[in-house]
Amino acid sequence: MSWRATRATRSLQAMWLTAVLILLYVPILSVVLASLANTRYMRFPHKVWTLDAYREALGTYTTATLHVTSLKIALVVVALSVVLAVFGALAFARYDWRGRSWFRRFLLLPVFFPQPVLGLALLLSFTAAGITPTWQTAAFAHLVWIVPIVTLVISIRLYSYDVIQEEAAFDLGATRLQVFREVTLPALAPGVVSGALFAFLLSWSNLPLSIYTTGADTTLPEWLFSRTATNYSPLVPAVAVIATGISAAFIALGAIVWTQLRRRAA
Amino acid sequence: MKRRISIGTLTMLPVGLLLLTGFLVPIGIVAAYSFMPPRTFALTGNLTGANYEAALMEGYWRPLMWSTVGALATTLICLVLAWPTAKALDRFVGRWATFATLLIALPIFISESVRLFGMSLFLMPGGGILAGSLDALFGVSIGTILNTHLAALLGLIYVHFPFVLFPLLLGFSLIPREQVEAARDLGASGWQVFREIEAPLTAPGAAIGALFCFVLSLGANAEMSILGGQVVTVATRAIEQRFNYAQDWPLGAALTMLVILITALVVLPILRRIDLDRLIRR
Repeated sequence: MSWRATRATRSLQAMWLTAVLILLYVPILSVVLASLANTRYMRFPHKVWTLDAYREALGTYTTATLHVTSLKIALVVVALSVVLAVFGALAFARYDWRGRSWFRRFLLLPVFFPQPVLGLALLLSFTAAGITPTWQTAAFAHLVWIVPIVTLVISIRLYSYDVIQEEAAFDLGATRLQVFREVTLPALAPGVVSGALFAFLLSWSNLPLSIYTTGADTTLPEWLFSRTATNYSPLVPAVAVIATGISAAFIALGAIVWTQLRRRAA
Repeated sequence: MKRRISIGTLTMLPVGLLLLTGFLVPIGIVAAYSFMPPRTFALTGNLTGANYEAALMEGYWRPLMWSTVGALATTLICLVLAWPTAKALDRFVGRWATFATLLIALPIFISESVRLFGMSLFLMPGGGILAGSLDALFGVSIGTILNTHLAALLGLIYVHFPFVLFPLLLGFSLIPREQVEAARDLGASGWQVFREIEAPLTAPGAAIGALFCFVLSLGANAEMSILGGQVVTVATRAIEQRFNYAQDWPLGAALTMLVILITALVVLPILRRIDLDRLIRR
């Protein structure tokens, strides 16, 4: 291909990527724009641009409760999924054992499963077992979907891990627990941080599982979902922006910790 | 050799127990309910196939069909859109490409209720972002596609596009650049490069992405509620109605089993053929 043709392709590709990015962000930008109004019905462009909705969002009890519920679920999910997934990843990628190939395929099934269907199946099971759904049952539902994903994230890290370090530690007389604490865990740390970040973000933003498994409790995505249909006011987009800002803050925090760990490991 | 449980089996146990209680047992319970007499709430009744009969005869095949057709269409369109995007991202290297990749990945972590809500705000008639801006800037008033099949389909594509793109991008990164150049030097056309090199080498990534997209869209419900205005009832919605309003657990369970069956028919054969190890080892 001639040089000129290559350049034409490249600028075409750049234009395509720009278009994709614009399309991806138009809805998100729309939420931000809608949050800056003070009228019940949206009439864009707004006559008055104001931050009133944010003041209301920060001042009301309901939105605080929503954040607390979502946060409780996400923190429980992060803590439990990281612990479970570290063991899961060792079984997935580190040790050779009978049934490993079977375990690897089984682990993928909840990931490739329609989430609302999982939510409904869990709801039926909870009700049949006499368990009243609350935020705790929702956290359990999140774990079923998130633990396999975190396990995969940590496994990717384990593949680049050199087993010889462990053997050297054993040869120097370390116990199994010492090796795990001093050698295996530090090597896994960057994977654990990305896994924890994934767990938080996926739980924090989850709608399809929460909607069926929280019972009387309401998470942020659920509330946003129900209020888009009925009872709209600029409070709804404002809460959406705040919730998204919290995810963004966690992404930034996770990125910083991760780079620090990488630098220390290098 | 000592006869004791291996350390590998031990490390599997926590996740294994979670998936047993949270995945296999609930599916088992749903399966059991699907064979109970209609409108009963206990698992002690006599086994019957009446719910499956009702599910297939009384028009409930319609939601199942809509969900399946919607999921297929979404998957195909996402593949067509993701292909040039992955190819372009793979071609560009350096800071700009990393930044663009990051920007495309970020919306995955924004709740789908927020993103779909944004789409409906954008498309709203009259005072919506698009209609309002066009009216204010050019004095043009436009209608809306909100509350149609098309809007719901656009929502499905929007939410699931990144899930197709990233596995496909992984596939592209597996293509040795020299191989494409060598083929070009030997006079291969764009179509030949696609058919002989790119398509076979990106196939595993494309298959995983398509699988992801199909399964997620199959259960999708929010797209239809927020953007489609419930012009059609999708499978999840039909199941939810049986469970909640109609209080007919066995029929809801039978419908759930049918969705699981469709999922299994698509997922299991493809997962068996993909060598995941080779993909994530990189």
